[in-house]
Amino acid sequence: MMENIGLGLSLFFTLQNFVAIGVGVMIGVIIGSIPGLTATMAVALALPFTFSLPPVTGILLLVGIYKGGIFGGSISAILIRAPGTPAAACTTLDGYPMARRGEAGKALQMALYASCIADVISNLALIFLAGTIASFALEFGPPEYFWLIAFSLTIVISISGSSLTKGIISGLLGVLLSTVGLDLVYGTQRLTFDNFNLMGGIGYIPLLIGLFAIPEVIEFYLQRASPLNVSSSDRSRVSWAEFKRCLPTIVRGSFIGVALGSVPGIGATAASFLSYGEARRNSKTPETFGRGEIKGVAAAESGNNGVAGATLIPLLALGIPGDVVTAVILGAFMLQGLTPGPLMFQDNIDLIYALFCGMIVASVFLFGSGLFAIRYFAKITDVPRHILIPLVLLFCVFGSYAVQNQMFDVLIMLCFGVLGFLMARIGMSTPPLLIGFILGPLFEDNLRRSYLIANDASVFVRSPICWFFIAATVLSLFIGLRKEFQSAKAARERAAAGA
Amino acid sequence: MKTFGRLLAAATVFATGLGLASQASAQADDYPTKRVTIIVPYSAGGATDVLARQVAQGLTEKWGETVTVENRPGAGATLGTAQAARARPDGYTLFMGQVSSHGIAPAVYANLQYKAKEDFEPIVWITEIPNVMVVPEASKATTVQEFMDQAKGKNVSFGSSGTGSSIHLSGEMFKARTGLDMTHVPYRGSGEAVPALVSGNIDVMFDNLPSAMPQIKAGTIRALAVTSAERDPSLPDVPTLSETGIEGLEGFEAKSWFGLLAPAGTDKAIVDKVNASVNEVISGETFQTYAKNNGATVVGGSPEKFGEFIDAELDKWAKVVSDAGVRVE
Repeated sequence: MMENIGLGLSLFFTLQNFVAIGVGVMIGVIIGSIPGLTATMAVALALPFTFSLPPVTGILLLVGIYKGGIFGGSISAILIRAPGTPAAACTTLDGYPMARRGEAGKALQMALYASCIADVISNLALIFLAGTIASFALEFGPPEYFWLIAFSLTIVISISGSSLTKGIISGLLGVLLSTVGLDLVYGTQRLTFDNFNLMGGIGYIPLLIGLFAIPEVIEFYLQRASPLNVSSSDRSRVSWAEFKRCLPTIVRGSFIGVALGSVPGIGATAASFLSYGEARRNSKTPETFGRGEIKGVAAAESGNNGVAGATLIPLLALGIPGDVVTAVILGAFMLQGLTPGPLMFQDNIDLIYALFCGMIVASVFLFGSGLFAIRYFAKITDVPRHILIPLVLLFCVFGSYAVQNQMFDVLIMLCFGVLGFLMARIGMSTPPLLIGFILGPLFEDNLRRSYLIANDASVFVRSPICWFFIAATVLSLFIGLRKEFQSAKAARERAAAGA
Repeated sequence: MKTFGRLLAAATVFATGLGLASQASAQADDYPTKRVTIIVPYSAGGATDVLARQVAQGLTEKWGETVTVENRPGAGATLGTAQAARARPDGYTLFMGQVSSHGIAPAVYANLQYKAKEDFEPIVWITEIPNVMVVPEASKATTVQEFMDQAKGKNVSFGSSGTGSSIHLSGEMFKARTGLDMTHVPYRGSGEAVPALVSGNIDVMFDNLPSAMPQIKAGTIRALAVTSAERDPSLPDVPTLSETGIEGLEGFEAKSWFGLLAPAGTDKAIVDKVNASVNEVISGETFQTYAKNNGATVVGGSPEKFGEFIDAELDKWAKVVSDAGVRVE
């Protein structure tokens, strides 16, 4: 072991590797902060450049971009309510209200701390537990996934805002919208209205940008006269007390991220919402969430960055890419003539340890470039809103067009902008729609796959993992609903007392 | 006066035609004079995208004009293909075709928005990849015959990267030819389907060789046969399905392939020029190494050869789809 670490270190300690990580993280943070340009896209576009680099350098460049991108997404989520990457959608919930309050600097700082801590925890999980976690992840077949998703869907209760009923309607609307396009099993068209562009389904990023960023733009133009109190953010800092208060949330979020990251196919977005839901459920003051609660930012960002290292677990230990980013990284390995998996631990162990070193260094670089970036990005809040808002709109149009180079996506983005605005007007929370939209297809796919492999309902209770998640789902529903009813009752009583 | 008018009109048309023709040949001579775009109907990072970027980089170096890749994913590659079909046929928009867009999709989808043959001008066949029949390590079958014996009378599940993929259709073809009772279980991409195979949630898969290779090497899945006409150099001990001698499998051939096309109406001189350049790029060392590392065989050749191949593929998949009954209305 020590000898291998030595070999890994000697392979890693080259100037080239440090430059690759530094450049990668920087590119990631910048691209991640631009709505519509996702971490995935940045990694894919950088792939051809790795061909001419040594294996470790090339792969560390991609890993750096990925990590930077996941954090970078939170910057625009907090500052202009347009999540730079899908995984940062959850960060808008409390990050943007904080920015509106003049605490953009603080929100960005907390996002960075949470991201880096989660990143380190995620790396450690990868380094020490990859084998164990990976073989456990393989125990997940369609029925186990089905219950895991069912459990994840219960977080709709926690993010429904003021009205649970409206939240559930919003979630169901999301599920309905996710069915647009070609059906998985038979390829039949669903809700496409013979529109060719809808055959591929509704684009995730146009929906995201529309739903979150555009309502702010509409709001601004409707109430031109109202003075907006976004003040200079430079004075707000995370205090030690605040950090201590958030630490348990960050650690919990990191573990949720690691758990969901190591199971292929779930992803960072779901992890951040799950982490957020858990934080809110464990909070003594759940009503502060969604109104600029710093714990909300900590939970969301630790959840999504916790995924970043863990998603490499199935890739390195089993050679299985868990998401699109790791599929691209797998491509980078293969371009170099390397095949990740158990054999790599035998044949190229020095390379594996060099990668591990690189990932730890990447976490440190992320912290450094993050501090640097937020110092300048936070100044965005000083830009007068009559200049900022048109720029936001420009970015929204550009971002939704950039994904597939289609004007149709811009139209989709605008439609969801109007929808998001109307939903806000009637007090319906939009995050459940997003959760329904993301988890709906996973729920349906695994339900149908379970039936296809077994043709028998007993498959849904076939393993201890199924039972575990059934219990977790029931418990989560029970506790969540009870808590909502209690707080609704308390609110009514307060209102009555006030009257 | 009337005659004069007609003459004038005719002359104008003729002159315009001449002008266009001379412009066209001028275009071919100094083509390209500006940026060339290759449309890829899949998202960035996939096999088609990576291949296109390799080719684009080679062409950029060769021509001194930038060749970029534009990703237009959606609807099982049919969305981007339809858009490429409608692009201006001036040689500045090219299309990375593959077995889905120009083999399977025309057979599977009833209301396709493009005509695979009429809307495109084949330029060059670039690479091909065999599919491989793989079972989990825990499976007792070590040969296709053993697999057949164990599967008789049972319902076997086969995984795929999605409905209408070459992985799905290879399975359907196997099912139709052997008469086994097999259920198709679609996933979203090989990345999701392979773990399901490794863990034994599905019984068999006819995966693309490159995505199955890491697992075959690691021993977590077992290759029983390749679906190509000849054995693959990277798996010399694995027989072809046709070789197994099982009734119905003789002549079995299903593979994934990639090639460059242009919208119909593109000047023949430009097609030939691109053909020659791509042939040079893909015979270069960089591309050969890339192909070898990705388990792909480099093909190359004339536009005519590629055209004939596409015709054969369209016929073949039309038959597989009608036998299997997987057409989508």
